[in-house]
Amino acid sequence: MASTKSADTEGAKQAILDYCLRKGALAAGVADLEALERIAPPGHRPSDLMPKVKSVISLGVGGQTQGAWSVPAKAMGYFGSTETRAYTIAYGAAFFIEGMYQTPAIYCPPDMDNEKGPRVPLQSLKLHAEIAGIGARSLAGDILLHPEFGYMYYASIFTELALEPDQPMAENPCPAPSCVSMYRQIGRTPCQKFCPVQCLSGHIDADGKQAEMHYDMAACAEMSQQYEAVPALLAEAMAAEDAQGRDDILFDPDNKMLWYKMSVGSGGLLAQCFECMRVCPIATKSPLADPIRRSKAKAAT
Amino acid sequence: MARGLSRQQIGVTVAMIDSYGDLVFEMSHNKQTRRGDPIRELDFAAIEARRGELGMSDGQIAQRIGLSEIQVMYIRTTMERRRFRTNHFQRLLELGGGKRFRHERFTAHEDRFQYHDDAIALREAMTFNPERARYYAEQGWWADDTLSGWLARNVAERPAAPAVILDGVVMDYASLAARVDRLAGGLHGLGLGPGDVIAVQLPNVPDYLVGYLAIARLGAVMTTLYMPHRGREFATLLGHSRARAMICLSDAGGFPAAQTALDLDLEKLQSVIAIGTDVAKAVPGAVPFEDLAAGTASADALGLPLPVAADPFLLLYTSGTTASPKAVPHNSHTMLGNARLGAAEHQLSADDVILSAPPFGHLFALYSFHLALYSGAANLLLPAFTPPDLAATIEAGGATALFAAPAHMAACLGMGLFDKHDCSSLGLMVLSGSAVPDEMARAVDRKLPDCAINQLWGMTETQGALYCRPGDSIETAATSAGQPAPGVEARINDDGELQVRGSMLFPGYFDNPGANAAAFTKDGWFRSGDLASQDRQGNIAITGRIKDIINRGGVKYNPREIEDLLDKHPGIAQSAIVPMPDNVLGERACCFAVAIDPDIDLDGLCQYLLGHGIAKTKLPERLVLVAEMPLTPTRKIIKGRLFLP
Repeated sequence: MASTKSADTEGAKQAILDYCLRKGALAAGVADLEALERIAPPGHRPSDLMPKVKSVISLGVGGQTQGAWSVPAKAMGYFGSTETRAYTIAYGAAFFIEGMYQTPAIYCPPDMDNEKGPRVPLQSLKLHAEIAGIGARSLAGDILLHPEFGYMYYASIFTELALEPDQPMAENPCPAPSCVSMYRQIGRTPCQKFCPVQCLSGHIDADGKQAEMHYDMAACAEMSQQYEAVPALLAEAMAAEDAQGRDDILFDPDNKMLWYKMSVGSGGLLAQCFECMRVCPIATKSPLADPIRRSKAKAAT
Repeated sequence: MARGLSRQQIGVTVAMIDSYGDLVFEMSHNKQTRRGDPIRELDFAAIEARRGELGMSDGQIAQRIGLSEIQVMYIRTTMERRRFRTNHFQRLLELGGGKRFRHERFTAHEDRFQYHDDAIALREAMTFNPERARYYAEQGWWADDTLSGWLARNVAERPAAPAVILDGVVMDYASLAARVDRLAGGLHGLGLGPGDVIAVQLPNVPDYLVGYLAIARLGAVMTTLYMPHRGREFATLLGHSRARAMICLSDAGGFPAAQTALDLDLEKLQSVIAIGTDVAKAVPGAVPFEDLAAGTASADALGLPLPVAADPFLLLYTSGTTASPKAVPHNSHTMLGNARLGAAEHQLSADDVILSAPPFGHLFALYSFHLALYSGAANLLLPAFTPPDLAATIEAGGATALFAAPAHMAACLGMGLFDKHDCSSLGLMVLSGSAVPDEMARAVDRKLPDCAINQLWGMTETQGALYCRPGDSIETAATSAGQPAPGVEARINDDGELQVRGSMLFPGYFDNPGANAAAFTKDGWFRSGDLASQDRQGNIAITGRIKDIINRGGVKYNPREIEDLLDKHPGIAQSAIVPMPDNVLGERACCFAVAIDPDIDLDGLCQYLLGHGIAKTKLPERLVLVAEMPLTPTRKIIKGRLFLP
């Protein structure tokens, strides 16, 4: 996707990416707009959101702390995944671009598509990051991984400023050698084995590369994304035989927790369970995967 | 509705959802398959070729299969709704944590254990006054006591200490727990589980306690049958308790207990578990107890959930003198809290060797076992009471605490056994089950001067509600049942009836609303039916039974003092006075007696009583000689079974 850019735009790209890194991003890059437009389905292309978009900038912030990986799974589920640190940087970057270069920019909303429902994102931040070269799809349901930073949260900025695109990663860090070894022994990788709902499966080829990745998103969402439980429970309650039955459904302790989450907008158990990432050596043991490792690496240099 | 449009406006029919639903769902992002790494490699041809596998947008699906985008969206979201199961996140809560996940350890909610209707009905019977429940919990009288918890504590603290002793053979706490664990696993293998009632009819042998503890470990409920019970009692009690299993002997001294239970063909009785020789051959259809207790299944290894204190775990039928038995449910709060609090009052410790003369089928014996288990003491067993065996067991086993009925002691005294055996190891004797004759208590005290003689008053409904304490004088112990146990309140109403309430009190009879209505006062106190008096020190003496009162033409009196005098008559072994109907006076007194002197007559007895200052109006007016009295397991006379010839 080569394109001709002026020296000014080269400088602008560096300044924007530096801004992102300075504000806390671990990695940042520019995705090839043409590739995004070809891959994303109609309605979800960058130009569908911002008609005059010229560049898509993607950034990633640190995933979990080292301590977070050690908490019990159910507690991990409460952590949620809507990562405000990433969006804050992206928001700031959009202001930075407009202020520095007098060119329109937006922070790409991470929200669901209002027309398509809660399982459909407006834009794929994952696709932006992958094309920008700051993550590659893993066997764990295409969650992006980075060889140095492991598991990250991503955010995107769209701008009418033309910037030189980066290339996707040359190599995919997933599967890690230890995962290949496990697969050779039992036919499954750690993420496949330990998924609570067994929504992951797939194969590794003779070269130790990903051959197939199967992801049952419905099963995954069924466990971790409870918003669909609300109408389901209401329907069950309406169909209950009597008042006691209705009460049992509506005021069941689990369901009361659901009402609580809905009423306060809590992210608890409304995102992902993280079990596949907890057992992923790339997510948890990459050289700069968590603040402790990054701090030690910085001290060593 | 989709985008504010109705299904009719969109043109989606039920037939269309049925026809295309699965296809749309599979093609959508709900099911994703990626082959290779085409996006990272920017392999656009591969991406296009495999869009269907990667998971397509609604618009792409619509284009692929010839529907409108909004129709696809409607169908997809309908399918998502249909397939979505609520509360599925429980998998994460129960299985998550990486290494903890195992396929075989997860059971879908719909396939999980649920209490059957009978078990729920029994649990429903455990209804307590909420204010009282809160008070008991606040006071610490209700805590987290369970037999399983106590056993585990003993295993941790004193694994090699003697837990059960029979004929010199010792089973330590670790061995006891291991056998209990296996038996619980075996019972689980029979399909028994929490809330199931399991009947036990055994003599006081180690496997009684193993069975009891295993039933408790399972979260099941034990109901007891006395050894003299036969088919008629089996049918009544197994039927009323809805027992799912029964543990008994294959041959109970010539009575084929296991075969009798099987022959009843009770609908709910799934298993008869028999102890005996070559059970499989001797009683086809029965499960050999030993196969379960020595099996490889283990409750802990199976991960069976531990019981909790609020679970009902005992369903006991009263040995009261009323005709029809009543089912008394207890949970660990009421039952074990009483024992925990009582252990300190009785000054018991892990060094004690505790012996129960009554059978474990009776609450008094279970109370002694609970005290022993809580204290970490040894249980010295006497399989079946005879006076010589009791005295010999005390001597041989070095019993330090004896729980017995007055009749047990009266028999031992009568046979001079305390002179023939060295029972000096006894430091505590708790007498209960029936009224304790003053003179008998003093006689035992004279024979065992270093042993505290303590009366205890209790019922199946109340457990140990009143008792003397070690240190009380023999005067107090011989004439009263002492003072209320911790957690117990007692009062005597205007009619002289003893009424109690407290943390030890059962919640009400199971499946017997009529009995419940009569058993409790409006303000929640339990009517004991016993007459009592209280001295200035607060000691309460039981003076008779309300139902024993004779109303002779409006003159009411308690025959207890007359019975006490008759029992001392040289020509009488045992006596009981009951009212007999009379057309003129309403009631007159009839004396039933087991005679030592066959020539004894009513006139002679009346002269004897008059000589001891008994008023004429209280004299018995008929004498019925019987060969033996109908007795409860604690050897209390069942007056309800004394019928006029």
